[in-house]
Amino acid sequence: MSAIHLFVAAALARSYARVAWLFRSRVWMVQETVLPVLAVSAFAYSYKAMAAPPEYTGLVVLGATMTTFWLNVLWGMGAALYWERDSGNLELFVMSPAPMMGVLTGMALGGMTTTTVRATVIAVAGVLLFDVAIQPTSWPLLGLIFLLTLSALYGLGMMFASVFLRWGREAWHLVNLLQEPIYLLTGTNFPVAAIFPTAVAAAATLIPLTAGMDAMRQVLFRTPGIFDVWVEVALLAVLSVVFLVTARWLLARLERRAREEGKLTVRWQ
Amino acid sequence: MREQLRTLRLAAWLGWQLETNWASPWLFAIYMVIKPVTGSLMLVCMFYAARATFAGGPPEGFQQFLPYLYVSNACFGLVGTVTFGLSYAVVTDRERYRMLKYVFLSPAHFQTYFAGRGLARVAEGTVGAVLNIAVGLLLFADMRQTMGDAGIDWLWLAVFLGIGVVMLWAAGMVLAGACLNLSRNGMFLSEGISGVVYLLSGVVFPIGVLPPWVQWVGLSLPTTYWLEGMRRALMGPGPASAPVLRGPLAAWSNAELATMLLATTAALVVFALWFWRWNERRAWRLGKLEENAGV
Repeated sequence: MSAIHLFVAAALARSYARVAWLFRSRVWMVQETVLPVLAVSAFAYSYKAMAAPPEYTGLVVLGATMTTFWLNVLWGMGAALYWERDSGNLELFVMSPAPMMGVLTGMALGGMTTTTVRATVIAVAGVLLFDVAIQPTSWPLLGLIFLLTLSALYGLGMMFASVFLRWGREAWHLVNLLQEPIYLLTGTNFPVAAIFPTAVAAAATLIPLTAGMDAMRQVLFRTPGIFDVWVEVALLAVLSVVFLVTARWLLARLERRAREEGKLTVRWQ
Repeated sequence: MREQLRTLRLAAWLGWQLETNWASPWLFAIYMVIKPVTGSLMLVCMFYAARATFAGGPPEGFQQFLPYLYVSNACFGLVGTVTFGLSYAVVTDRERYRMLKYVFLSPAHFQTYFAGRGLARVAEGTVGAVLNIAVGLLLFADMRQTMGDAGIDWLWLAVFLGIGVVMLWAAGMVLAGACLNLSRNGMFLSEGISGVVYLLSGVVFPIGVLPPWVQWVGLSLPTTYWLEGMRRALMGPGPASAPVLRGPLAAWSNAELATMLLATTAALVVFALWFWRWNERRAWRLGKLEENAGV
């Protein structure tokens, strides 16, 4: 089997497990969509109580939709190898001829698929419940921004997967720590450009979620952004490449370190 | 009785160790501050974003939203920590550490063990809430002004906090009891309940904003009375200059709020005790205590 064949086979095998789970665990699917809709409703009513303009409800719906991806990047990608190690699968992955990047790519593709289904349900529910007007300046541009955001996000997730492999019990807490601070920095429920100083907002665009959501808001709601849309599109493309290349380098390096330190098979630390 | 107290003490110690000994004290302190504070700051940014949309300046009383959001969210941190924490204790002890059946087999009283684990979460949640409010007072003049003008009513704060801790513990035990028999979906039940409480108990908006028929659902939750009581104890009653912040409970006195909270908490405690016992027996009969679902 050629290297490309192996890579594709590993990616498809790993993504199959995640996509099949989606259809076998319908209760999980309901819960994963109902809970974010509750959060959307809470923030939408909060803006309503503060008499904010209607497009701010749209910001909240968009934020909840993209937050679903961020949570999948954290828990479905970042913590995935850590959990695989706990369940004894990591050593099997490493022993197999499948390249680890293929395994991570499969996790990313599977995660993207299942999360896109969930995110679509959340977005539709939010739009219908709160009567959000959806009139983007360009549907193809919106699609391009969305795909580039996912690419950069899951590249970042692959980096996290390698890094979290170094951690023990603190991994769960540190992944938890990357939720609220990221929601704040990326402006999941408010326009970053309107609140943060320019330098802080510009630095925050290095997180793909910030640049992606800011660009999508400009296209969907015509709100002013941190940078011009096309600058943010270019930034997302660059971040995608940088994160994917760095993930590949980190994975090789940290897997080597884990082998040397005997951490590939250590559980319940 | 002495044995139960010993179980309580040791379980609380174990719970505290599990929550804290994964990091150095400094890293843990940073973790305790950053998570709740950034959650509150996100709401503050929403407030400033809404305020910036008023062309001629915000209406009178609008500034009162900031202390409302901040204090409510800080108090809600306790809800999530305790209710979610007890369910998480069941799941981790069963799935991750595989110790649940050994705890059941030990001489320790099973329910008291989880009550002790809940105490550790109460301590963690309380410290987090206090730090959160302290940071809010440090950063925002509106917070200092509101809490300074009204002054903290320490007596009512002690009353509402005391009853509230029991209420949250009882709610946590109900969810933890359900988790004994839910192999895979227990954590989502806890998150779901937490989400419902967040929406319907007036955490980030006064429940008067909700449609009237939904307000009744919110008024049936003990957490609604608890949050209203905590806000009053910390900030005083809702100001007349911000009528939207004065919800259906605005006309209630502190004593009426405390009585309603006490009554609902008592009912919840009775139910929690029975529900836990029923779930414990069921889980034992069906072999769920040692089941490992790979969650």
